[in-house]
Amino acid sequence: MTTKALDTLKKKNGFWEKVMLQRELIFMSVPILLYKVLFSYVPVTGWSMAFQNFKPTIRSMWDQQWVGFDNFVKLFTGINGERFIRDIRNTLMQSLLTLVISYICSITLSLLLNEVKNSGLKRIVQNITYMPHFLSWIIVAGLVSTMLSGPSSGGIINDVLMRLKIISDPIQFLAEPKYFWGVVAGAHLWKELGWNTIIYLAAMTAINPSLYEASVIDGANRYQKMWHITLPGIKPTIVVLMIMSIGYILEAGFEIQYFLGNGLVVEKSETIDIFVLRYGIQMANYSLATVAGIFKTMVSILLVSTANFISGRLGEEKLI
Amino acid sequence: MKRFVLMLLIPLLAITMTACITEPTDPKKTTQSSGASTSSDPSATSGLPVLSPENPVELSAWLTTSESAPAADNKLTKLLKEKLGVTISYEIITPDNAEQKIGVMLAGGEYSDLVGTTDLNTRLLMGGALIPLDEYLTEDKAALLYEHVKPYWNRFATDAGDGEKKIYILPNYNRFYGEITGGINFGASGFWIQKAVLEDAGYPDLDNMTLERYFQMIEEYMRKYPKIDGQDTIGFEVLATPGREWGLTNPPQYLAGHPNNGGVIVENNVATIFADKEIAKRWYKFLNAMNAKGLVDRESFTQTLDQYLAKLATGRVLGMYDQRWSFGPANEALVSQGKDERTWVSTMPVYEGCEPYYADRDVMNINQGFGISVTCDKPEIAISFLNTLMEEEWQKLLQWGVEGEDYLVDENGRFYRTQEQRDQSKDLVWRASNQLEALRDLAPKRQGTYSDGNAFGPNDQPEEFYATLNKYDQDFLTTYNKKTWRDFLNQPPDNPVYYPCWNINLVDGSEAQMANQQLQDISLQYLPRAILAEPDEFETIWAEYVAAIGRVNVKALEDKINEGIQERIANWGN
Repeated sequence: MTTKALDTLKKKNGFWEKVMLQRELIFMSVPILLYKVLFSYVPVTGWSMAFQNFKPTIRSMWDQQWVGFDNFVKLFTGINGERFIRDIRNTLMQSLLTLVISYICSITLSLLLNEVKNSGLKRIVQNITYMPHFLSWIIVAGLVSTMLSGPSSGGIINDVLMRLKIISDPIQFLAEPKYFWGVVAGAHLWKELGWNTIIYLAAMTAINPSLYEASVIDGANRYQKMWHITLPGIKPTIVVLMIMSIGYILEAGFEIQYFLGNGLVVEKSETIDIFVLRYGIQMANYSLATVAGIFKTMVSILLVSTANFISGRLGEEKLI
Repeated sequence: MKRFVLMLLIPLLAITMTACITEPTDPKKTTQSSGASTSSDPSATSGLPVLSPENPVELSAWLTTSESAPAADNKLTKLLKEKLGVTISYEIITPDNAEQKIGVMLAGGEYSDLVGTTDLNTRLLMGGALIPLDEYLTEDKAALLYEHVKPYWNRFATDAGDGEKKIYILPNYNRFYGEITGGINFGASGFWIQKAVLEDAGYPDLDNMTLERYFQMIEEYMRKYPKIDGQDTIGFEVLATPGREWGLTNPPQYLAGHPNNGGVIVENNVATIFADKEIAKRWYKFLNAMNAKGLVDRESFTQTLDQYLAKLATGRVLGMYDQRWSFGPANEALVSQGKDERTWVSTMPVYEGCEPYYADRDVMNINQGFGISVTCDKPEIAISFLNTLMEEEWQKLLQWGVEGEDYLVDENGRFYRTQEQRDQSKDLVWRASNQLEALRDLAPKRQGTYSDGNAFGPNDQPEEFYATLNKYDQDFLTTYNKKTWRDFLNQPPDNPVYYPCWNINLVDGSEAQMANQQLQDISLQYLPRAILAEPDEFETIWAEYVAAIGRVNVKALEDKINEGIQERIANWGN
């Protein structure tokens, strides 16, 4: 059926006629729709816990005691409030640092890899850099904590620095709050660097080779080609990925902070998720945990919309 | 074709949806219905169902323990199946992960049949995870378990919110039968010191120990032997890992001559916290000075429990404050490597004018051990299983092993082991296939002595205890003119009725629990800094720490503990 015929039909019989025409498509989408409703929207009813003094013994949602905004007040004021706000700061800063460093490094690495003409070497480098992606965070946390410990406990970094005479005493990386954000960002970089380059390398292959040829005729050197052709070529990819990661900015990760964090660095290490675990789930204070969850969702939606809007205004790609 | 796909799809969706509606079962209903079905079963009218290999059953068990699961070829697992028809499927959680796992289980409402854990905050109990066992704990049903709890009913019974006190959890340790024997007091605290240090110092007298003397011995040894087995010697290790924070916070009360009441000191039946008091400051300031001398391991506060135990197991840690059970795995690892001189004995330093009170009378566990979950569809079988395990025959199998294989009986009926049997019982691999350590840890036990006069387990049999020691330890004990490791501790006086305060239930979600958690977080945040700081910075950090505590609702916590003390005095006095 042609578009024209569809148009006339739509004008004639309106909505239901269109539904009839597309019934097979609609039926096919029903399972996915149900899936989404069931697993993404039905759980939202659990948000009611935020307004209750939730007790797991009472299985019915309606029999719980309703307390209005008490839990919100509890989360954002007093000692808990200070702690929660500190944790928001930690989450945001760890995320931002991780985001910025991993963006810069993975784009740089993919630009470099793109210039490697020996495909065997290129593949080896790629393989080596993306292998750590397949390790679980638990293992990475264990590796990082060993690597950063004292030389007698297998701390390779301190060992190397001491042998190079850069430092005379081992640095207690995991005992100094000032290093913690860096440790998190570094661990992320180590684990995800290679993996993140894959998508950029794929985007680079889509760049029209004639652009490079033309630039060569115009006398461009390698760096100019990278700057003026490759980077602009992958700009839409960069922007879309950026908007998507902004949605996850309050998900700074959990495992690494949980396993590497300790009392000495808690000031910089504790993230929202750890707070929720300690003061929510471990103390059976599910209502408080829910409030924190709602807060996270709201902030994420807000951030993504803002980024999307700004990106649209600047004439770049939009996600939605 | 399209129609055909549609016809397939629609019923499929219908099935998924109905499945979603029917799946969540009401746990209460399940127990009720299964209770009804068994009461019509003739075998259940008198007593409990008898376990036999003809009716094989599978019980799932969720266990909080540091012990590992049995190997696949475990001989006692086979025996349980052959004699009782019981197969246990284990889910083992290490203590440091238990709290969050409990939170997740409560939120989900699904549990294993048997729930074996430390539930000091009675979260599982209050969360409705466990069924009351009162109806089974009678003379004609679970008679042995009845005997187990009967004399202490008031202590074990808890009000789970319905206003009635019932028994939900069967205590796993320190309910004694007969005489109490044993060479090791696993519950005891101490400032532990490596035997090699004492040997090198010419076996000094350990009475009237002070902090100064304790650290002086460590310092001298460390200067003399900067390396042990090629690795740097560690003077003093502080235990501060998740789940064992008490390693950091408990010492002041002992130094001041008080027993372990957790975070409070009790005087005239009134509890007050000591975290910000002079006795605490003195200890941390002392530790700060020791750190400046390089005696404290700077990695103490960044390591995990596994790393702590691994470090201890290398034998290069000269001293630490800990409880005997807590570093048990490290001790066993050293013994199995034959490095007995690198294991530790306890010393009891106190401030001047204080009497050491490190050892208490073994405290009966409350809210620790096995309970049966509301989602268990065969509670009679589960209780019958636990009851059967309390039979002397099974107790001996669990503790001693199989007669003739793991131990022998002499002409006087005394149990003993050959040297080979003793050696293999120290081998961790052998134990995985020949002992059920995880189950044993949480199951109710007949500690003390059996009706035939033999001790509960090999380590409690006095002659066995001495014989199991390696030559080094035997000589060590002889030199100190002592018979057991217990003798290195004080003679415990009778415990006060309310003792110990650390197992007073603070109630989930209460102000007191919140304050308790905040206090602990503050300790973990400031104390390591105070200890690791330059000595002239100590006062500033201490002031910050005290100020932080000042903002916590300490009164709520103290009130709750005092309420618990008064309640115990009223109900527990015999």
